Amino acid sequence: MSFREKSAWISLVLIAVFLGAYFWNVSLVLSGEMRQAAAMHWQLALVVGFVVLEIVLHVAIAIQSPRDARAPKDERERLISLKATHIAYFVLLGGTLLSLFAHWHLGWGAYATTQHVLLAVVAAELVKFASQIVFYRRGV
Amino acid sequence: MTQQDLADRIGVTRQTVNAIELGKYSPSLEVAFRIAAVFGVGLDQVFQYEKPAR
Repeated sequence: MSFREKSAWISLVLIAVFLGAYFWNVSLVLSGEMRQAAAMHWQLALVVGFVVLEIVLHVAIAIQSPRDARAPKDERERLISLKATHIAYFVLLGGTLLSLFAHWHLGWGAYATTQHVLLAVVAAELVKFASQIVFYRRGV
Repeated sequence: MTQQDLADRIGVTRQTVNAIELGKYSPSLEVAFRIAAVFGVGLDQVFQYEKPAR
């Protein structure tokens, strides 16, 4: 498995676990089961944990294959990145427009709208990394 | 010649050479010409067009 495929797997799993937990926490705030101030500590801890693990695991795979980590993307890797980003764009666009629609027409507050736009960003990232893995495995 | 040797000489990763060999990736003309040049043969001796199955 190439360095960049490993990197995509790491980001996919960490986003699913840590940011999945983050949005579970947000859903508790939106349903009124948790106060926003109390949830902030959990959310901050999850985001910090996500960033720290991303760095640590990427350093670990870079140490494992330093040559691959240093090398610039070749044409196949650039094509995979472009195609995956193209797919993710529609997820981001759709999620953002739905959030804005809900804000203006369903009366969502600033917190709910902001978190849903953030969810669209995270969902787009998930789709991007998942698409990259599919292209690396099945071909592009 | 290993996949890594060829990859180094044409400026792509070993995984890309592997993907080309398995038919999972069609390289650009530039990379195709570089591969042919490494082996000192014409492009048509390295790559053949196969019609996709319907």
